[in-house]
Amino acid sequence: MLSIKNLHARIGEKEILRGINLEIKAGEVHAIMGPNGSGKSTLASVLAGREDYEVTEGSVEFQGKDLLDLAPEERAAEGVFLAFQYPVEIPGVSTTNFMKSAVNEIRKYRGEEPLDAVQFLKMFKEKMAYVNIDQSLLSRSLNEGFSGGEKKRNEIFQMAVLDPKLAILDETDSGLDIDALRIVAEGVNKLKSPTNATIVVTHYQRLLDYIVPDFVHVLYKGRIVKSGTKELALELEEKGYDWIISALVD
Amino acid sequence: MATDTLVSISLGKEKQAAMDRFLAKGFPTNKWEEWKYASLKSLNDIDWNWNSSETPTNASSTSIEGSLQLQSLNGKFTTVGSLPNGVEILEFSAFAAQNPDFITKWEKRNQILDQNSLYDLNDALTTTHQVIWVKAGTTLPQPIVHQLLADVSIASAIQSKLLIYIEKGANVTWVDDLRSNSSSETILSNYVQEIWVEESANLTFVKTQDFALKTTHVDHTFIFQQANSQVDMFTFSINGGFVRNNLHFYVDGENVLSNLNGLYVPGNNEFIDSHTVVDHRKPNSESNELYKGVLLGNSTGVFNGKIFVRPDAQKTNAFQSCKNVLASDKATMNTKPQLEIWADDVKCSHGTTTGQLSDEALFYMRSRGISEEAAKTLLMLAFVQQVIDKVEIPELKESISDRVVAKIQQALGV
Repeated sequence: MLSIKNLHARIGEKEILRGINLEIKAGEVHAIMGPNGSGKSTLASVLAGREDYEVTEGSVEFQGKDLLDLAPEERAAEGVFLAFQYPVEIPGVSTTNFMKSAVNEIRKYRGEEPLDAVQFLKMFKEKMAYVNIDQSLLSRSLNEGFSGGEKKRNEIFQMAVLDPKLAILDETDSGLDIDALRIVAEGVNKLKSPTNATIVVTHYQRLLDYIVPDFVHVLYKGRIVKSGTKELALELEEKGYDWIISALVD
Repeated sequence: MATDTLVSISLGKEKQAAMDRFLAKGFPTNKWEEWKYASLKSLNDIDWNWNSSETPTNASSTSIEGSLQLQSLNGKFTTVGSLPNGVEILEFSAFAAQNPDFITKWEKRNQILDQNSLYDLNDALTTTHQVIWVKAGTTLPQPIVHQLLADVSIASAIQSKLLIYIEKGANVTWVDDLRSNSSSETILSNYVQEIWVEESANLTFVKTQDFALKTTHVDHTFIFQQANSQVDMFTFSINGGFVRNNLHFYVDGENVLSNLNGLYVPGNNEFIDSHTVVDHRKPNSESNELYKGVLLGNSTGVFNGKIFVRPDAQKTNAFQSCKNVLASDKATMNTKPQLEIWADDVKCSHGTTTGQLSDEALFYMRSRGISEEAAKTLLMLAFVQQVIDKVEIPELKESISDRVVAKIQQALGV
């Protein structure tokens, strides 16, 4: 589904990704872990198309297409979804209006008829159940004055509505208490299917108790320095990142 | 000079004094501090008809249903239909004769008129003007709708003037629908309103300005508030070649609430200037000013917001905010907040921002599949809608929203 080859990216003069290689198949969950500043969030941003980053080398193929050639909105229409670490507040635009615009723009891209108000109502009701989110929250200005937990649940609600092929969760656990974490993780798990894939970017192992990965990769200084299965995450939790980093020096 | 023809107009003594004041100063130029961005020097090159006898075409009452419909057509005031209970309309001299106490107060009103020569011109040329008198305790079920329409076939300077007197405990909603026809020749529309809001009275005032490119409109709206009164003012400047708003609030009593809301969306070759004054003269009052602008094409906007807190006005709360979005790299916005605080126990704040739409917000929206153009439009409409949504008359809100949305969408090509 996703094939990243020798990906280099920089912001300004600073090179942050220095040769990432990663293959992800449908049905898989991959966790990207690593210490602060290792490039985890940059990788998520580059995949979603944030324009602050310049890709200097390498390729990203998504379902047979050159992902780097597409605008952020085209990537979304092709099935890429980024759950933001810091969801942006949009005053004056409600979640429901935001999602209606998004869904119908994506449908237009795919050559499908727009949904009408009744169809939206039915769909939203169904998707709200995934993250136990309230209608009143969806009528309010998007993310404005939302608590940390509400913002992240809203991200997963949006993910449920857009039903992506590839979901990238960027530090979705940051700022969440344990109850909110569980609700968010359950939402993600319900959305998992054999035809989609998930990348979980996280600093801590905690989230991986709830969203169990098939593969764990450790990112350090812009490269994947170690890959393994979910046991690797437990080992990191126990020993920290130092043992991997010091092994690199040797 | 265009003003040469004014010299020969014969006027009474007081009116001549006003004319002399105007002639001594002439039209404002950008050498005057208050008109730094808004020179009207070019008006000197036009051979003005100072007293139009034309009647506008398309004069129609607006779609807003009112308890009372009023019109100022090329400066001529008329009442459409009958007067509701509790409202009287009469000439200023007749009103003055019946209200000597008010006149005593009125003569001491002490407006801030420096560098406002067009007020003098209006004063000189309006030999008589009407008073709309809302009697004590009157609550009208529907708004008073005043339509000001200008439409001429030769270049004309049009003077309009109204005094609105809202007595104790009355509740009034006033819709001020200002327009000029797009086919009209050059217009200078010079409009003065004095609004007196007596003790415990409430006024909601919604002014919409929708003028042609060849129209210069200068608006002087002076609001005098007495104790325990509340005024919610809205100024929607939708279209106009040159629009200058002078909106003054004089807080002459305690426990007064003054809310000033403004929205301007100038487009190509348009200039919209909002000069506001809130003059806190008595203690324990509050003013909230929220202005927003979207500047399209090569337009220019000005916001100049003055707040005075006089030595007597202790415990004043005065807040001001002006936020602008430049929708084009050819648009210009000039902002100048000015606070003069003479009392020591007050809460005042001001803030102005002018910028592009947030890149973070645009990326967030695009990452959900919304195209860049659609995301920009959505953000701008949300930005302006927050002011429009405060209007509580549904059909008026819709009419303003439709005109503003259409203008923004057209400018952005969506």
